[in-house]
Amino acid sequence: MTMIKLPDVIWGRPFPKITIDQKKCTVPFLCKKCLQICPTAVFHVARVMSREERLKEIDPRVDGNYVLFASRRDKCTVCNKCIEVCPVDAIKIEVPTAEHAKPEVKGKQWDA
Amino acid sequence: MCWLCDEFGDPQYGNGIWYLNPKNYARNMYKLRLPGEGLKGAEAGLETGARAGPTTEDLIQAMEKGDQAGYIKIQGELITREQGSQVIPLEDADRVLELCSPIGLIACICRKGVRAIDERNELEYTCMGMGPGMLKWERWPERYKGGVKFVNIDEAKEWNHEMDRRGFVHILMLFGAPFIGGFCQCDYPDCIALRGAIDFGIGPLKSHYIAEVDYDACNSCGICAERCQWGALKFEVTTGKANIDPFKCFGCGLCETGCPRGAIKLLPRKSVPALAEVWR
Repeated sequence: MTMIKLPDVIWGRPFPKITIDQKKCTVPFLCKKCLQICPTAVFHVARVMSREERLKEIDPRVDGNYVLFASRRDKCTVCNKCIEVCPVDAIKIEVPTAEHAKPEVKGKQWDA
Repeated sequence: MCWLCDEFGDPQYGNGIWYLNPKNYARNMYKLRLPGEGLKGAEAGLETGARAGPTTEDLIQAMEKGDQAGYIKIQGELITREQGSQVIPLEDADRVLELCSPIGLIACICRKGVRAIDERNELEYTCMGMGPGMLKWERWPERYKGGVKFVNIDEAKEWNHEMDRRGFVHILMLFGAPFIGGFCQCDYPDCIALRGAIDFGIGPLKSHYIAEVDYDACNSCGICAERCQWGALKFEVTTGKANIDPFKCFGCGLCETGCPRGAIKLLPRKSVPALAEVWR
């Protein structure tokens, strides 16, 4: 028998959809406003490069060298602090709809 | 014993604890990779996004769907792919630092990714690389931006104690098992390893210890509760004492080192029968 540890989360809860306009958000590693204000650390900034380029040092001031991801959207509470703080208006968050959140079987929502 | 001890421990050294086996720090454990060869596993890094197979995004999607069976399958695949890492308390960290060489202080890759913390010089570094792999640091100028500060054993211990004072959890990492190559100083939610353990049930194993409060010695100051990164230690209102949930405790020992009255002790995990073989 293998021991399994399941995380302490609400199963079946639809997560907010976060979209980042990469054309507007060009130097996230320098700006870092959303990365540092998010209470649950939803965002992640990473460099994007091919395997060959991996051995090179890159300049965070050059557009597109670092890219912002909302890699932990499961932790987003839609507090919208990132949207308020973003200087280029690059972040959009769609709240999951009530329809989406509705349990499939009445009275059994916690078994979904 | 945890799987790391089963695989990499030697009964001759440190009662079979994997990180007290000097062979795991030996030079011949480090694989030479020629320029142009691909990277695999954890070495492919947090930042390339080039890892094959499932990712934590797949776990997130399974949570969203409420698909626990699917989650367990993906979780199992991710765990199988892990190189291995474990939480270790400060006292064991001191013993580790006596076994490995060279020791280099470097910038933390997790804080860089999660909070865009730009550690540029040796006074700011919050991560440690160890072993002969560090001698090749110049091949990765982006990863080791600002350079590596090589330190001796005493400096390394002093630095590690300062990290402990600040409240970071110590996590020892295998890079190209059984080669021990990294020593992380972690907090939640800025550390990918801690997030893996707490949010997804993957990543570092719990330590070989569990913390326990001596209720007679505890004077309810609450310092320990501020230091717990695992949500395992809280102030129990009814009794007015610190209370540790041993099921959530990862045995990092931060509560122990922070207690000004020595009221918290680390018990060997094997002395707590119900949790002796629980590593996650």
